[in-house]
Amino acid sequence: MSLQFLADGLFAGALIGLGAVGLTLTYSILRFSNFTHGDFISWGAYLALGTVGALTGWIGPAARFMPFSFGWPLIVGGLLAMALTGLLALLLDAALFKPLRRTGHGIVMVIASFGASLALRAMLEFLFTSEPAYFSRAIQIAIPVGLGIRVTPDQAAMMGLALVVVIAMHLLLTRTHIGRSMRAVSENPALARVVGIDVAAVIRATWLIGGALACVSGIMLGLTVQIRPQMGFDLLLPLFAAAILGGIGSVWGAIIGGLIVGVAEAGAVQLIGSEYRSAVAFVLLIAMLLVRPRGLFGVREG
Amino acid sequence: MTGVPALVAHGIEAGYEPGLPIVKGASVTVGRGEIVVLLGPNGAGKSTLMKAIAGLVPIARGTVTLAGAEITQTAAHRMVRLGLAFVPQTENVFTTMSVEENLVLAGHVAPASVRAARLAAMLELFPDLARQRGLAAGRLSGGQRQMLAVARALMIEPHVLMLDEPSAGLSPKLVRDVFAKLVEIRASGVTILMVEQNARAALAIADRAYILADGRNRHEGSAAALAADPDIAEHYLGLGGADASVVGRSAP
Repeated sequence: MSLQFLADGLFAGALIGLGAVGLTLTYSILRFSNFTHGDFISWGAYLALGTVGALTGWIGPAARFMPFSFGWPLIVGGLLAMALTGLLALLLDAALFKPLRRTGHGIVMVIASFGASLALRAMLEFLFTSEPAYFSRAIQIAIPVGLGIRVTPDQAAMMGLALVVVIAMHLLLTRTHIGRSMRAVSENPALARVVGIDVAAVIRATWLIGGALACVSGIMLGLTVQIRPQMGFDLLLPLFAAAILGGIGSVWGAIIGGLIVGVAEAGAVQLIGSEYRSAVAFVLLIAMLLVRPRGLFGVREG
Repeated sequence: MTGVPALVAHGIEAGYEPGLPIVKGASVTVGRGEIVVLLGPNGAGKSTLMKAIAGLVPIARGTVTLAGAEITQTAAHRMVRLGLAFVPQTENVFTTMSVEENLVLAGHVAPASVRAARLAAMLELFPDLARQRGLAAGRLSGGQRQMLAVARALMIEPHVLMLDEPSAGLSPKLVRDVFAKLVEIRASGVTILMVEQNARAALAIADRAYILADGRNRHEGSAAALAADPDIAEHYLGLGGADASVVGRSAP
């Protein structure tokens, strides 16, 4: 049996994990399941496609960083797209979620996010059609790394990026005031106000960060697979599975949950066939909810 | 009381739902450096009045002034910057954060140059907390948790410290410890307003007290006079803490 599924699974898992980090943060601080998170991923990929196109159109084609398929326009464009995706999330909050928060019903927020998800996806299809798009059509040669496993340079770079992002998020949450404030609001919003935290500002920061992280997973997905308006929505189930597996609110939990889901999916494809791929996340999600609802690293239930 | 009072709440009408006031025109004045205690039966509106002053419950009528400046309906998170600290009765520390993180988080409203000194001062004032500074606050005992909540409130060097039943759920020895600490804090120049069910212990350290019933002022006076008044004692102070509320509810 080939061990290639491990590498593919870990890569898919890192991507799912990054998306789940954003989801777990918005879930724990805003207290609802945000179905638009998947569409932030798609929008992030398309926004990066747009910024990269604009940059190369403006300055001219740039050399690739060999052996990778991308050059500096993707780095700069990616950073711009992260900011733009964050702003998109912020805009959606101001237009939709903020007025609904006053009524205080979690289920209304969930349904509203489902509607917004449909609208965001339809807009992408309208603007870009449902034909897949690509950052680069350069052919990547997968390099053998031992044990019969092959990894493309882009995949290796994205794994490194995922690790950097997770460490940065960990430091943000444990070492900075805004990070501690986010943890405070997620545990006890009333007490957070009492200690002088502006909860509205924390919510804005959460959307910005959640959107930016979604954009990173969109770019990872776009770079290694393809860019489609459906891409983020199709990831939603694995994202929720990863966030719940790891424990809502836990950044490391989300990334480890993502890796577990990724490897389990890739393993299932190899063992029982690709038609059961999406069932794996579902089974993991339900099993976790039955056995340990607070997840691997969750601090408390409910 | 001399000069401008530290805190005045005048004619406060407040409640969680519009048109359903829990506090129905209560007034409280706290002089600079005083310890004032709010007493009364369960449901009298003591805690709601305190939360309304802190900006956590909407005020329909009335005004709140802090050292002469009106602060009615200021957002709760801004109250801290004005020097008004509040310690809720329950869930008053962040259990998933360490003792030190709780203090650092609260101290952030202070200028960066003084934060480290304040943290050091709090750890000196509360040696128990200094020993457990790395421990998650959720693993502290009830008494230590209460001390952390008070220390957290003091990180902003408040002019006025408001406490909602600081003795709730604590053993008699811990109640004495907490109250002794409050006296020590007052001696450092902090004005204190607190709600208490443990009336006798609270009157022992307070300068003055207000007794509320049904959201309105019922009695007020010096702590010593109220404690000595047999009528008050019978209706509101009870023998311990628990039965005071039962007697109080049937009072006219």
